[in-house]
Amino acid sequence: MIKTDVAVIGGGPAGMCAAIEAANAGAKVIVFERNLSLGGQLVKQTHMFFGSQKQYASKRGFDISKILRDQISQNKNITVMTNATVIGMYEDGVLTIEHDNKYKKVLPRATVVATGASEKFLPFNNNDLPGIYGAGAVQTLMNVYGVKPGDQVVMVGAGNIGLIVSYQLMQAGVKVNAVIDAAPRIGGYLVHASKIRRMGVPILTSTTVKTAHGTECVEGVTLVKLDENWKEIPDSEFYLPCDNLCIAVGLSPLTELMWQIGIEMAYVPQLGGYVPKSNKNMQTSRPEVFVAGDASGVEEASSAMVEGRIAGLNAAKFLGFKTTDTDSKLADYFEQADSLRSGPVGEKIRAGLKLAELD
Amino acid sequence: MLEKTGIATVEQIESVTPSAERRGKGAIAVCECFQNIPCNPCYTSCKFNAMKPLIDINDRPEVNPDKCTGCGICISNCPGLAIFVIDETYSETEALVKLPYEFLPLPEDGTFVTGTDRAGKAVCRAKVVKVLNTPAQDKTPVVWLAVPKELSMTVRCFKIDDIYSDNTYLCRCEEVTLGEIRELIRKGYTSVDEIKRISRAGMGPCQGKTCRQLIMNEISKMTGEKIQDMPVSTFRPPVKPIKLGMLAQSEDNDDE
Repeated sequence: MIKTDVAVIGGGPAGMCAAIEAANAGAKVIVFERNLSLGGQLVKQTHMFFGSQKQYASKRGFDISKILRDQISQNKNITVMTNATVIGMYEDGVLTIEHDNKYKKVLPRATVVATGASEKFLPFNNNDLPGIYGAGAVQTLMNVYGVKPGDQVVMVGAGNIGLIVSYQLMQAGVKVNAVIDAAPRIGGYLVHASKIRRMGVPILTSTTVKTAHGTECVEGVTLVKLDENWKEIPDSEFYLPCDNLCIAVGLSPLTELMWQIGIEMAYVPQLGGYVPKSNKNMQTSRPEVFVAGDASGVEEASSAMVEGRIAGLNAAKFLGFKTTDTDSKLADYFEQADSLRSGPVGEKIRAGLKLAELD
Repeated sequence: MLEKTGIATVEQIESVTPSAERRGKGAIAVCECFQNIPCNPCYTSCKFNAMKPLIDINDRPEVNPDKCTGCGICISNCPGLAIFVIDETYSETEALVKLPYEFLPLPEDGTFVTGTDRAGKAVCRAKVVKVLNTPAQDKTPVVWLAVPKELSMTVRCFKIDDIYSDNTYLCRCEEVTLGEIRELIRKGYTSVDEIKRISRAGMGPCQGKTCRQLIMNEISKMTGEKIQDMPVSTFRPPVKPIKLGMLAQSEDNDDE
């Protein structure tokens, strides 16, 4: 049995920040990361981040990942276990992991769940054809493995992921034939939309996928226009060719582990689906279990990092590791989180977080 | 409408366009950021305090026209790539537009590209005056384009394939490009007939009606020879392609 003060499940932006904060407060931390290196989705984010300097605004995701990784490797209180997937969480607090093909048990005194999210998919005819991907998968292929995922793409979804991945596909020399979205308005940041629009890519709102076509792999797609009630407009079908149909219709928090130990959950569509209820300190209904990042509700990576810091500090504090600046740091992080969510684009998140508040 | 298409409206653009008086004084930043999002590097990166302080991080940027020097530091710092610098004092007829461009290949100084608008539509030929790509730009290079002055608030991107580029077809029938013709002229083929025989330009369905004049223009441009002094190509019947069968079945066939 491996023992530690704090177990951090997931080495993405939230998990890395949680580990750094808990370790700086004096706790021994182990980070469990299922990939071969830390970074999570940051490693494939080649665009500059929004936010303020405190969340590394204007820096690119992969550069932020390097900064956090360096901080972790220099911190004696943090052990990183890569190629380690937490596969079970039990009532008595034990975590079971698959690490380098071995089954192991871990007993932490507190846990930060920072498992992230998975991509949502869409039901439509022939959606099993090769060449139909989640946008995140395409981004990984391109930006992590250097594989060009096709020659011409139709992107389904004009949220930030759809817009950003479209832009990055163009940077990789792939033609983007259109970005479509069933919603009447572009969901992502409008500056991202303008960036690809001025490269000549049409953005078609109130449009959805009807059928993918192809024999060996996807060769094209029939799209259809929607009216203001999201009903198909008769005879409005049209065809676009593509050898890659990219689905970017949102993310769902990865919460299986928290379900396993009976943590109180809430269904909050604004946050991507079922999320654990938590208080301001990112503490769940199990007082020794904290949550951060997309696992607690899908948001931007800048918010994930701030949540990670709050969860890490509080996990340490819960175990009695408190330094003179713990409270002032927490006050700063609460303020950062509030300001990131304060504007009109944060409205949905604010509404969602209210529904996920732990009484 | 911006929320539906990604293209800012005329009113939105007008709301961020510097006054004519200010434009006449030199370079100034234009922030095309029309949504209240939590982001402030435009403000924090400005060394001249020319951005209105973003008290609320969701506030939209506002350029102080008296303080902005048009230095362009903010261009590469804006995560939304939504800041441009325009300089209408660049020359009598042209303005400079400095824009962020994160694609390869980068254009080269002194070459021509096609200036495009916010919808990606070609609007002019633009000269690449400078490409800034130092560590300060941190992988968001800034390209300076010289564009017709009246398009300073229109050109927001460009295509490297210049509409007048080497890839342009001079002879559409036989698909001979300007680049190929230029190459032949450089090699010393300096008459329309020579070029026709070696490249087939002018041997297609239109029989040179489209390309003959264009090729002469190009020869003149490259060799300095006046068109009126050039040998004219030889004109022989038929003036349009006809089927051999039609000749064979001619009612006026003297050989029969």
